[in-house]
Amino acid sequence: MEPVFYELTKLAQNDQYTTYEMFFGPNHPGMHGNFGYVVEAVGATVVKVRVNAGLLHRGFEKLMETKGWFQNLSLIPRICVVDPDPNEVAYCMAAERLCGMEIPEKAKYLRSLTLEMSRLTSLLMGMGALGAMMGLYSSMYRMMTDRDYVLDLFEWLTGARIYHIYNVPGGVRRDIPDGFLAKLTEVLDTLEYNLKEWDNLVFENPVVHKRLTGIGYITAEEAVHYGLVGPNLRATGFLADVRKDDPYAAYPYLDFETPVTHGGDALARAVQVRKEYEMSIKLVRQIIKKMPKSKEIRLKAGNTLKFVVPPGDTYARVESSKGEYGYYVVSDGGLKPYRVSVRGPSLPAGLTLCHKHLPGMDISDVAIWMASYAVCPPDIDR
Amino acid sequence: MMEVLNVIGYSFFVMAAGLLYMGIGRKVAARLHRRYGPPVWQCYVDVVKCFSRKSISHNFIMDLGSMMGLSGLLGAAMFIPIAGFLPFPSQGPIIVILYLMPIGYLGMAMGVSASGNPLAAIGIGRALTLMIGYEVPFATIVLSFIATYSSTGLVPLQAVQAGGIANWHMMTMPFGFAAALIALMGMLGKKPFDTMIAPSEIASGPMVELSGKFLGLAFLQHAAAIFVETGLIVLLFLGGASNVFEFIGKQAAVYIVMASLSELWARYRVEQATKFLWISAGSLALVQLVINMIIGRK
Repeated sequence: MEPVFYELTKLAQNDQYTTYEMFFGPNHPGMHGNFGYVVEAVGATVVKVRVNAGLLHRGFEKLMETKGWFQNLSLIPRICVVDPDPNEVAYCMAAERLCGMEIPEKAKYLRSLTLEMSRLTSLLMGMGALGAMMGLYSSMYRMMTDRDYVLDLFEWLTGARIYHIYNVPGGVRRDIPDGFLAKLTEVLDTLEYNLKEWDNLVFENPVVHKRLTGIGYITAEEAVHYGLVGPNLRATGFLADVRKDDPYAAYPYLDFETPVTHGGDALARAVQVRKEYEMSIKLVRQIIKKMPKSKEIRLKAGNTLKFVVPPGDTYARVESSKGEYGYYVVSDGGLKPYRVSVRGPSLPAGLTLCHKHLPGMDISDVAIWMASYAVCPPDIDR
Repeated sequence: MMEVLNVIGYSFFVMAAGLLYMGIGRKVAARLHRRYGPPVWQCYVDVVKCFSRKSISHNFIMDLGSMMGLSGLLGAAMFIPIAGFLPFPSQGPIIVILYLMPIGYLGMAMGVSASGNPLAAIGIGRALTLMIGYEVPFATIVLSFIATYSSTGLVPLQAVQAGGIANWHMMTMPFGFAAALIALMGMLGKKPFDTMIAPSEIASGPMVELSGKFLGLAFLQHAAAIFVETGLIVLLFLGGASNVFEFIGKQAAVYIVMASLSELWARYRVEQATKFLWISAGSLALVQLVINMIIGRK
């Protein structure tokens, strides 16, 4: 037990200090989502924390057992609003694996393209939110502008800004519209140009450094033990990336090196996210360059309401902006999945790591801790 | 009788001007965020709306504290001369202003602490800690003026700056001016010193339990505080003003600069903010004091 809160708890037990319960969310400006921590505090120091989850529970996994394989596609992106495409791709990959489908090459590139575009939107929101938690609202609002440029392109490509429902078992729904890649290149130029601004505003800001240094420190061994994934794990210096470890879509054809950052604290995680954002821009450029000319974007699935998947079970995973997003899918050979279980990347930090890190922490750092670990409540409550 | 009317009229003017600066600040911040932002008169609408809503009072101390908060700041504003005009005869003594300003903050502290909300208590604890951070450098700057002019009256200090920009203390006392601007950021609660409000940390702290007229009074208190604090900078360093429009223009300019700079910084923790104020603003103010002491009296 950490000495700081141990002492406070002891004093509280002896009635020398009074602890009080405080609801940090769901109605709290520092909480991004319908989620909360009930913190027991002495003064401004957290002594104990209790997760207050369940407010966002929509029963997705159970609902998926009641709908057809294709019908579920309209549900799945809603699990994660910020980064919806990894859900679509993981679910489709699981269904395709059970069906023994090999999707067309162009569909693979288009999937990687939407995944990376989705990553860009999510990382922009993540970086902006981290700034906002420290009072740097200019980063939040200005990054939202950049995010909107990408969402405009999503609307053009898929017909929707947030819930794209673009990936389907067997490929993707639409081919690229004329002029799309040229416009995308323009947007990438803008995003790349604005990186300098984000560096000045956030990543090289001395006040940001002071606020983030040492917050939520974790070693690589602990991160693995707790099940952290994605940028949170790579910010401890541990290299693990589903795109490299278990390649899918067009990633085997792309040339990239996943960056890592040493440090393990909130600053390292922020720097890691910035590196991944830059890498994602480069990946999209590569995808544009290597995009096949073929018109074949999906396999014929017949009547989608009568689409069946052979019996079996499989686990498909993709690298989302927050780490490994996994779908364990079981089919009994019927028109509907027998069981779908989702593994959200925020779960380890949001549910378990908070018990280790938050006690002893000043109340002013709780929101920063959450944002630095990119705790996304919909990942936890499904 | 005339003096009473002057005081009442002056109080309304102070609050109206402060709300105008707040509105301009919100618009400027919005434009820096790439937002359209609310109209500049939005703060007036907010205050009227607050006073028209139902208010929840926890106890008498909360009522008293809120009134004391506004009264303290309005009391301080009575000693800020606008183009030589004061509601009642005085020299605009800075010492009295520096004494009355904390009464406003202490009133707010008393009121919100009485609400019993722990977030409000944390916020007000931070506000009072931060006050120690900016009061020390600002008091040192006042000492510099005493060292040079043997006076703490705003009226004579404005008079010595007459004759052009070269005579403004901004030019003749650059270290003091820099220190005053840093301290002003703290006084105005602008980032990186907005730790007492900190929405993402303590859900707006002191304001969390304020509803209806209490929130309206807090708005007005903040408006009066903006007027007093920017007014001090205008009178001490920017040559004062020969008419009311010049005064308002200079105050607005100071506030816009502060509001713009605020958007560049994240928020310090309260202990980091206090340390920064003491080290940066405190050192600059001390350098200015030493220089003024060496130069001697004018």
